[in-house]
Amino acid sequence: MNNEPNVTVNDPNDDLFYFIDSDAIASEKIIAPRYSYWKSVFRVFFRKKVNIVMLILLALIVIVAFVMPRFWVYDPMENVTNAATFNLSPAQAMRYFGGFSLKWILGTGQLGNSIFYGIVASSRTSLMLCVICAAINMTVGIIIGALWGYSKKFDVVMLVIYNIIANVPDLLLISVLVYIVGSGFWPFVFALTVTGWLAIAYFFRTQVMIIRDREYSMASRCLGTPVRRVISKNILPFLTSVIVTLLATNLPGYISSELFLSYIGMGLSASVPSLGRMIGEAQNSFLTFPWAFWPPVAVASAITIILYVMGQNLADASDPRTHM
Amino acid sequence: MAKYLVKRILFSIFSLLVVVMVVMLLVYTFISRSVIFQTDDTWNKKSGNDRSIYEYTMYQKYGYLTYVDYMTFLANKYKDEVGEDYTKDKAFIADKNVIQKKDECMDNETVQEFIRYYAEKGYEIKYLEPETFKSGRVKPGGTGYLLAVHEKNPLLRLFDYVKGFITIEKKSDVQDEALTDDMRYVRFEKDPYSGLFAIVGSGTTHKYLLYFDNRFPFIHQNWLHINLGTSFTSYRGQEITTVITTPTGDIKPRMTQFPAKLGTDEWTESAINFHTLRYTTNVSEGDAELYPDNYTTGAYFRYGFSMLENSFVIGLIAVAIAYAVGLPLGMLMARRKDRLGDKIGNVYIIFIMAVPPLAYIFMFAALGTTVFKLPYKFANAQVKILAYVLPVLSLALRDIGGLMKWMRRYMIDQMNSDYVKFARAEGMSEREIYRIHISRNAMIYLVHGIPGTIIGCLVGAIITERVYAVPGVGNLLTRAINSHDNGIIVACTVFYTTLSIISLILGDLLLAAYDPRISLADEGGGRR
Repeated sequence: MNNEPNVTVNDPNDDLFYFIDSDAIASEKIIAPRYSYWKSVFRVFFRKKVNIVMLILLALIVIVAFVMPRFWVYDPMENVTNAATFNLSPAQAMRYFGGFSLKWILGTGQLGNSIFYGIVASSRTSLMLCVICAAINMTVGIIIGALWGYSKKFDVVMLVIYNIIANVPDLLLISVLVYIVGSGFWPFVFALTVTGWLAIAYFFRTQVMIIRDREYSMASRCLGTPVRRVISKNILPFLTSVIVTLLATNLPGYISSELFLSYIGMGLSASVPSLGRMIGEAQNSFLTFPWAFWPPVAVASAITIILYVMGQNLADASDPRTHM
Repeated sequence: MAKYLVKRILFSIFSLLVVVMVVMLLVYTFISRSVIFQTDDTWNKKSGNDRSIYEYTMYQKYGYLTYVDYMTFLANKYKDEVGEDYTKDKAFIADKNVIQKKDECMDNETVQEFIRYYAEKGYEIKYLEPETFKSGRVKPGGTGYLLAVHEKNPLLRLFDYVKGFITIEKKSDVQDEALTDDMRYVRFEKDPYSGLFAIVGSGTTHKYLLYFDNRFPFIHQNWLHINLGTSFTSYRGQEITTVITTPTGDIKPRMTQFPAKLGTDEWTESAINFHTLRYTTNVSEGDAELYPDNYTTGAYFRYGFSMLENSFVIGLIAVAIAYAVGLPLGMLMARRKDRLGDKIGNVYIIFIMAVPPLAYIFMFAALGTTVFKLPYKFANAQVKILAYVLPVLSLALRDIGGLMKWMRRYMIDQMNSDYVKFARAEGMSEREIYRIHISRNAMIYLVHGIPGTIIGCLVGAIITERVYAVPGVGNLLTRAINSHDNGIIVACTVFYTTLSIISLILGDLLLAAYDPRISLADEGGGRR
C-alpha cells in the first residue's frame, strides 16, 4: 500500500474549492459540549420541584425577618404595666386592641408582648446567627483543615490539640464559654465559633489527605507547583460537594444550638429577641397558652427543615456524578 | 495491643488533666467569686468584718486561697514559749488585744513579726480595722482581724484537686487519741446484718469497708472513695458523688436492731443503713447506748432511685428500643429503596435530623399527654411505670431516626460493592446476601458508637429531663452554671470527659474485635 496517493489537484481558480489558512489557535481547541460546573449544579438543583418551593419559602421568611422589623419595632415591654394584656389568645387580643391587626394575629405573651412581632424579630436573630457562625466556622475550618491535611508537621501539632479538645463534650465547652464571656449576640457567636471550627477542620483534613495523595496531585507536585496552587486548584475544586454537604448540616445546626442553649438558660440574653428564649418562656404553660408556644416552635422547625432539605439537595446537585 | 492501650490511656489522662486545668483556670479566674454568697443565709446574717472573715473561710474551703489568722499565729507562738496555759499570759493578752486598737497595732512587735514572717512567704497582709461607733463601742461584727492571705496558684489548685481525687481508707485515718494503736485494725468479720462476712475496719472512717446486702449490685464498698468535687452553692458543701448516687425519695424505715442491741430481742423501727456507719469523735449519751463503738453516723435508706439511676435506666431502655427498632427499619428501608416505605422513612429521618430536638420533644409531650393521656410530669404520675413512657419514647424516637439514617446509608453503600455482585453470581439468595454480607458489613460503621451510647446514658438527657421534670443527672451541669457552682462545673468536666474518653476507647476496641481487618496498634503502612 505504498502507492502514491492519487490526488488530482484542481485548478485553483475552481469556484467550488478554495484554500484556507491553518489556524493555530483553533486547532488547539477541543470541540466538546460546553460544561459549566455551577450551571450544571443549579440545573440539577432546580429540576426538583420541592427545591423551588423551599427557596420561595426561604425567601419569604428572609424578607419578612429582615425587612419587616424596619417598620414594626418589637418592644417586648410595651404592655408590661397593663396586666389585662397578658396571655391573651389571638381572638381576645384582637378584641382588646380593637379589631383585626397583624400585630396581634398570634395573641400575646406573658408580658403582653406581641407574639407575631417577637417571632419576626427572633427569626432575624436566628438567621443572622446561623449565617455568621457558619461563615466563620466554615472559613476557618476549611482553611486550617486544608493546611492540616496538607502539611505533615502541622498535622502532628494539630492532632494533639484536636485529641484534647475532642474529648470534651460540646455542651460543656459552649456553656462554660457562655458562662464566662456573657450572653450578648456577639459573645454568643464567639462561644459557638471558638472551637466550632475544629470538628470541621478535622473532617476536612481527612478529605484533603485522601485527595492529596492521588496520582494527579502527586504529578503536579513533581512538576513543582507551589503549595497554594495545589490546594486551591487541585484539591479544593474536588471538595466542593463535601463543603456544600458540611454547610447543609451545619447551617440548621446553629439554630438548634441557639434554641437549646437559650432554653436551658445559657443562650442569648433577654435583650436579644430569640426563638429559643420565646420557647423557653412559654414552655411551662404550653398546654394552657398554646398560641405563645407553638408558633415559635413551628417557625424554628420550618427554618431548619427548609435549610436542611435545600442543603441536602444542593449537596446532591454539587456532586458532578449527578450532572449526566 | 497492650502497649497501644497503655499509650492511649496515658494520653487520655494527660488530656483530661489539660482540660480540667483549662476549665479550672477559666471558672476560677474569670467568674466573680462573690457569687458563692448569692444564696447563702449565713452570709446575709453576718455583717462588717465578721462577714469578711466568713468570706475568707469560704474562699479557703472552695480552694480560692489559703489564709492564716493572726490569732492562730499568736496561739502557736505562745504555746511554744509559755506552754499550755498561754491564754492567761499577760503578754499574750496584750498582743491579742492590740489588733483591736487601730493606732497602736502596726507598732506592736509581734504584729510586725507576723507581717515579716508571712510577707517573706509571699502572703499578702490584710488588716481588717475594728469598726466602732463614735462612742468607742465596737459595732456588731466589727471586731478587727489581721490576716495573711495567699491566693492559690492554678497549678497548685489542680494538684490539690488531683491529690484528693481518690482516697483509700486506712486504719490510721481517724485522728483520735482515745483510739490506741492496738485498737486499730482492718479484718474479716461475720456481718450480723447480712449473715455473710464483711471487711470491717476500726480507725478507718467507715466501719464496713466491704459488705454484702440485698440491694443491687449486692456487693458494696466504702474502701475506695472518689471525690469529683464539692458543690459550692446548689448542694452546699455536699460532694457531687454523694449527690448523684443518693436516692431522691423519702426515708424508708424498717424493723431492725441497733448494733449494740444485736443478739437481744429489742427491735426498733429505723431507716439508718448500719453498713454506712462513720466514725464520730464525740458520741452522745443516747447513741452510746445504741452503738458499741464510735461508729454512730450513717446514711438513711431511701425510697426510689438516685439521680444517676434515674437517668441511666431511662437512657438504657431508650437505647435498647432504638437499636431493636432502628436497625431493622434501616435495613428494611435499604432493601426497599425508593419505594413507599423508604420514602416514609426518609420523611421521618428528615424530621428528626432537621427539627430542633427541643421542638419535637414538646411535640411528643403534647401528643402523649393529650391523645394518649400519659402522665406529663414525672413526679405527678399515679402509676410510676407510666411516668417512664414519655421520657423513654422521646429519647428512643430520636435515636431510632439516627440509626435508621446511618444503617440505610451504609447498607446502600455496601449493596453496590463487588462482593455482593459476586455472592449473587454464586447463587446466594437475596435474604442470605442481606443477612450475612450486607448487614454485617454495614454494622462495622455502627459498632463504634455502641459503647458511647450506653455510657452516654450516665450523662442523662438535658431537654427530656427538663420537659418531664425527671430527677436525673442531665441538668447537673446546666444548673451548676446557672447557680455559679464552680465545684460542680469542675466535677462535671471530669465526669463527662472521663466518660467520653472511656467510650471512645471502648468503641475502638469493640470495632477492632468486630472487624478483624482493623488493627489499632499497627500505625505503620498507611498513609501518613
